Amino acid sequence: MNEEQKKAVLAKYQRALQKGERFWPDSLYKDLIVSMGLFLLLILLATFVGIPNEPKADPSDSSYIPKPEWYFLFLFKFLALYGQIPLLGKIEWIATVLIPSAVILGMILLPFLDQNPYRHYTRRVLALTIMAVFVVSMITLTMMADYPTAVDEQGHLTLPTWLQMIGGLLIPGATYLTLLVLAALAKKLGAAARRAQIGVAAISSVLMFGLAIAVMLVSPRPVVAESEVADTLAEKFALGADLYSIYCTECHGADGEVTVITGVEGLEGREIVAINNPDLMYTNSDETLANIIAYGLPSLGMPPFGKAYGGELGPSEIEYIVTFMRYSWDDRAELPADAAISSIPELAPGEIPSYEVHIAALTKRYCLSCHRPGKENNNYLMTSYEEIIGMSDNGPAIVAGDPNSLLLLLIQGQEQTDKNGDPIRAMPPNKLMDPKYIEMWKLWVLNGMPKTAEDARTLSPTPSP
Amino acid sequence: MTDSHHISRRDFIKLATIVGGGVIGTIIGIPGLVYLLDPALKSEQGETWISLGPLENFEIGKPTLVTFVRSRVNGWEKTSSSYGVFVLRKSETDVVVFSNLCTHLHCRVNWVEEKRAFVCPCHDAAFDIDGNVLGGPPPRPLDRYEGEHAKIEDGVIKILFKEG
Amino acid sequence: MWRKLYQWLEERLGLSDLYKSLLDRPEPKGNWWNTLGSASLFLFLMQGLTGIFLTVYYTPSPDHAYDSIQYIMTGVRFGWLIRGIHHWGASLMVLVVFIHMLRVFVTASYKYPRELTWLVGVGLLLLTLGMGFTGYLLPWNQKSYWATTVGTAIAGTAPFIGEFIMKALRGGSDLSALTLSRFFAAHIWILPGLLAALIGVHLYLIIKHGESAFPDKDD
Repeated sequence: MNEEQKKAVLAKYQRALQKGERFWPDSLYKDLIVSMGLFLLLILLATFVGIPNEPKADPSDSSYIPKPEWYFLFLFKFLALYGQIPLLGKIEWIATVLIPSAVILGMILLPFLDQNPYRHYTRRVLALTIMAVFVVSMITLTMMADYPTAVDEQGHLTLPTWLQMIGGLLIPGATYLTLLVLAALAKKLGAAARRAQIGVAAISSVLMFGLAIAVMLVSPRPVVAESEVADTLAEKFALGADLYSIYCTECHGADGEVTVITGVEGLEGREIVAINNPDLMYTNSDETLANIIAYGLPSLGMPPFGKAYGGELGPSEIEYIVTFMRYSWDDRAELPADAAISSIPELAPGEIPSYEVHIAALTKRYCLSCHRPGKENNNYLMTSYEEIIGMSDNGPAIVAGDPNSLLLLLIQGQEQTDKNGDPIRAMPPNKLMDPKYIEMWKLWVLNGMPKTAEDARTLSPTPSP
Repeated sequence: MTDSHHISRRDFIKLATIVGGGVIGTIIGIPGLVYLLDPALKSEQGETWISLGPLENFEIGKPTLVTFVRSRVNGWEKTSSSYGVFVLRKSETDVVVFSNLCTHLHCRVNWVEEKRAFVCPCHDAAFDIDGNVLGGPPPRPLDRYEGEHAKIEDGVIKILFKEG
Repeated sequence: MWRKLYQWLEERLGLSDLYKSLLDRPEPKGNWWNTLGSASLFLFLMQGLTGIFLTVYYTPSPDHAYDSIQYIMTGVRFGWLIRGIHHWGASLMVLVVFIHMLRVFVTASYKYPRELTWLVGVGLLLLTLGMGFTGYLLPWNQKSYWATTVGTAIAGTAPFIGEFIMKALRGGSDLSALTLSRFFAAHIWILPGLLAALIGVHLYLIIKHGESAFPDKDD
């Protein structure tokens, strides 16, 4: 820009000021209205959307699929797509360092690269079209970020991955090149080149959006595994109680009282310390207890439970178990009154239990300890509704409406025999459930084993309001 | 500013801007203040009976220190704190329980047999065997557990301990 | 009484000069798109305020970070509001700063004489993203832990100096207590300090050159 142009710019600005307004209050009040709107939005978001609850960081859980904040997703997706390019894709630093640095450098140098003295949009077609395509590619990459890039059995890219590659890399790349070539030809072609630039940018933007939407429709929706997260002491205690009864009851008993293990393969007859003993609680800190659960006591026969050592529990889950133990057996720690909640809901008068509300909680507390994969259980699993109503080695465990179902007889303490004449123990093996829970099971089976609370309500003779 | 009741558009905008800023300030300011002062605003309740041991464990006429540990959740952390009381058995059935906190600045007092006094290590305060101030800065005698805050049940001394 | 106090202050601070140059300055006819800069500033101040509030209870150590945040959310009155505003404010700030930058690009306001204002603005955008990146780790949950592992590993792919950069970011070769405390330091001292300083320069330049006018056909 030469001196004359600079003078013209400044003079024009002075004229604009003459026709203009004052910062205070004319502009400031607009600023305030916008800021107030944003403030209101923040309060609404904080109140009604909140912040999703995440489990505590677990460095040992390498199965977790990391995902950055939404404003980095476009970069994340770009890196994933770039990695699929043959040969070039193996030179990672081109995508991770070179290209982002080049973009940032371009932004820094923008006022010096853009020598065009004009400001009105009709005279800045190249700059605006490039920026438009860049922004559209950021948006479409973000849209596709949740859908993984994948290869099929033969090692070829799958169709959705191809669509992602075309929409996320190929089209924007080709568009930038075309725009620059057209700009170089602008001197020769004049206005036609400008129209062509706008056309190319518009068409490729539409294509990019179209491909992104196609990817979203074609790809299988990614499943997100969720684990339960507690955030109050009461929830921690209740979750801990459930986890304890699944993972610990088999050897330590429902109340940590067992001193001689019975009925556990490989550990039959082993003498152990009753873990509900206050001395044990006094001499072991929460951290020590958590370490014992995570690492196990291999010399005493206790296997490791922490994911880091080959078990199934993450640090949050172990912490819940420790919380349960501490508040149950340490007489120095008293559970606050509001925290003493049971994870098994009570039945209202006339209510019919359902799998989702009642039976799932009961199986968690009394059955899953053994009736889950990898345990000795005559192939009868109870981790889902379908499994519970399914078959075991001894035929169906429960039949809707049949009071003489195998499972109902067993939980009432009546030993049965299987087809080979071997005895089947009463269940749960060490101590029967509370009679009110046995009633709950009976009521559930006799009423046709409804799955959801909704189903149960329609069966209910006196529908609750 | 003029004396007229009509306000100009400019003045109205000025006023509206200032009021708007004030509203934002208040909406964030009040919850912010409650947030900051929250621990001080919480009432920490809870009373428990603590047993100090059977009566016959205590020698008549000599104060004995009994300590006990209580754990509490402070914020997200569980802390076990140790507390102490002096049990003085005056006769077969008559028992006085003193807190071991000096009434001056809550240092812990010790029973010194030679002086026949509770001595506070911080500011050289001393209390006699009945908890009365012998010397030093304390404003009142040692606190006692008495009345409905102490009882003897089945021969075991118990005090009602306030947590918090 | 007030008049006297004002006069006393005026003599020493020069309030009316300040008022003239900061508030009562002339501007070209305004436009709603021009409010995005102040909106970014507003969000920065909001983040600063709620961030300071959060540090009252937050503890930057792997043992306590997660629990202290749970305590803020459930144990402290209005903790959910303060953290909610901070959480959503971060997202909104990135969005508003980005749209502000787009607006400046579209109206070509980065051209003479405002080249430096743009340059400082790029710095502000990068620092805002840096705040987002460092703040993301602080809750020490699964999501933040693994996202930061990957994020810092990206820096590690740079040729020759990659490993050095990654170690400098993580404070060692693994993500650890050292990473958390240096991200905390960056998030509450280093980056906000730089942000505030650059915002000061940005504002000075805006006052010096005045807000840019919307371009018309002759520009």
